[in-house]
Amino acid sequence: MTNNKGKRKRYQAQNQKCAYLFILPSMIILSVFVFIPLIASFVISITDMNIFMKDVRFVGLKNFLRLFEDGRVRNATFNSLYFTLLEVPLQVGLALLLTVCLSKNNRYSKLLRSVYYLPFVCSMTAIGIVWSMLLDPNMGLVAYWLKQAGLETIAFLKDPKFAMPTVIVVTAWKGFGYTLTLLAAAVLNISQSLYEAAQMDGAGSFSKFIHITVPGIWPTISFCIVTSTIGAMQMFDQAYVMTQGGPLNKTETVVQYIYDRGFQTAPYDLGYASAISVYLFVIVAVMTFVLRKFILSRGEDADE
Amino acid sequence: MNKGKKIKLSTVAGVIFTTLIAFSVLLPILWLLVSSFKTDVGVIKFPPRFFPEEWTLHQYLYVGDSIPILQMTKNTVIFAGGVTIISLLFDSMAGYAFARMRFRGSKLLFSIILLTMMVPFQIIMTPLYIEVYKFNLLDTYLGLILPRATSAFGIYMMSSFFTGLPKSLEESGRIDGMSEFRIFRSIMLPLCKPALVSLGIFHFMNNWNDLLYPLMLTSSQNKRTLSAGLAVLVGNKVIKYGPTLAATMISLTPLLILYIFCQKYFIEGVATAGMKE
Repeated sequence: MTNNKGKRKRYQAQNQKCAYLFILPSMIILSVFVFIPLIASFVISITDMNIFMKDVRFVGLKNFLRLFEDGRVRNATFNSLYFTLLEVPLQVGLALLLTVCLSKNNRYSKLLRSVYYLPFVCSMTAIGIVWSMLLDPNMGLVAYWLKQAGLETIAFLKDPKFAMPTVIVVTAWKGFGYTLTLLAAAVLNISQSLYEAAQMDGAGSFSKFIHITVPGIWPTISFCIVTSTIGAMQMFDQAYVMTQGGPLNKTETVVQYIYDRGFQTAPYDLGYASAISVYLFVIVAVMTFVLRKFILSRGEDADE
Repeated sequence: MNKGKKIKLSTVAGVIFTTLIAFSVLLPILWLLVSSFKTDVGVIKFPPRFFPEEWTLHQYLYVGDSIPILQMTKNTVIFAGGVTIISLLFDSMAGYAFARMRFRGSKLLFSIILLTMMVPFQIIMTPLYIEVYKFNLLDTYLGLILPRATSAFGIYMMSSFFTGLPKSLEESGRIDGMSEFRIFRSIMLPLCKPALVSLGIFHFMNNWNDLLYPLMLTSSQNKRTLSAGLAVLVGNKVIKYGPTLAATMISLTPLLILYIFCQKYFIEGVATAGMKE
């Protein structure tokens, strides 16, 4: 009996050691490349470190004070918010509308859903190159077609007024298929008997949508809104490829400005770049918190 | 009678709307495909034509003269492939331990890992760069692959898959006196092939397409990935339209082919990501 117990204990101890070995590689990598940088980011933000990393001194909150007086930070913050507030509703709204049209799981719906997903598989670089060429005001096909149709052409990505809206539409174009995939999976999970019961009560298709579909997929909708908001606030690729932040910095986002300060423009001010990262991190955290609170409470209302 | 007609009308409107959107998705991609077979003159011809008037392989044959496409493709394959293979191994090992083994601190460690999923890349970007620089790994394959060699999301996904498997499986292995690693490798791992394929595709696609990360960690032209290298070259406006189109098409082709044949797994990976909440 005691022998057995001892054996068991030894076995468990060995099992524990084994478990640590299983998680060891992942833990090392996550510690070195996520945890430490996360903490370091806050530390670097209060130094004057540049890319040569010599004579690093602590400067307190100087970087943060500088940030609040930097007009380009203000401009980039405005651009990121502008982008997020229009892109997310456009992407999620379009996906929701299409989900309604394609809620049956027949062949047509399946085919179209996989077509819509196609741009999501492609890199933003490739998408950006293609759309920049198509939208070129001089030789682009879209501009030419608009002219043929007798419409006034605009310079799209080269016009300070239209550059950001164009980037927004292209981003939504690339991403709505992904949102649609998530929403459609959620819709197909709703029990058919709910719809049948509503049918018997004489509910029309619009009221079925409002009272059954929306509450049924609300957790997924809120997941899509939160994740695409976080993603949109970190927008970089689109503007880097299509506009390089221009024209007149009208599409320069916060992440782009971080990249520019730290890695593109001398004196490669890593301390300042980190301070802007921390600043963006706080904005995103607050937005996520508020969104969740707002959306979750609405979700509970919808359940009632 | 009247009601039947009304439903039909809304269905027709729905079909027209969804088809129009499908065209708007397909046309730009189709345009890229056919335009990469245009001649130099055909590419910049005005008024522009959708289809080439004269089909040619010229752009593909000479793309290497203006864009180091072979080197870039090789870099991307090594980077995205390397990350995928190593990350699949480490993710599934850690996921297995968290799901099937009991050890001190497992709950705490797992919640910390889940929390790191919410750390946005831009906050760790600068320190990550400094680390890779200090390790002397800037502009190397190892420096690109190592920070991505495991992922919180992958650990989470594998662990939820392993949790769903019946407990009796590893018992039989233990009775046969197999080591824990052999149980993992020969009994458990083969069972999660679908999850591994989905996660593998997820990693491969993300890294293949990633821009900011490889852009930051590489400095020379001959370590640039397709998406980072093309973005830089096109941004500098030194490349002609023709080779750019061909190179862009080349950069998309592997994922498009993968998507056509493994569509199910692309979607499944996404669906799991959606259940993260």
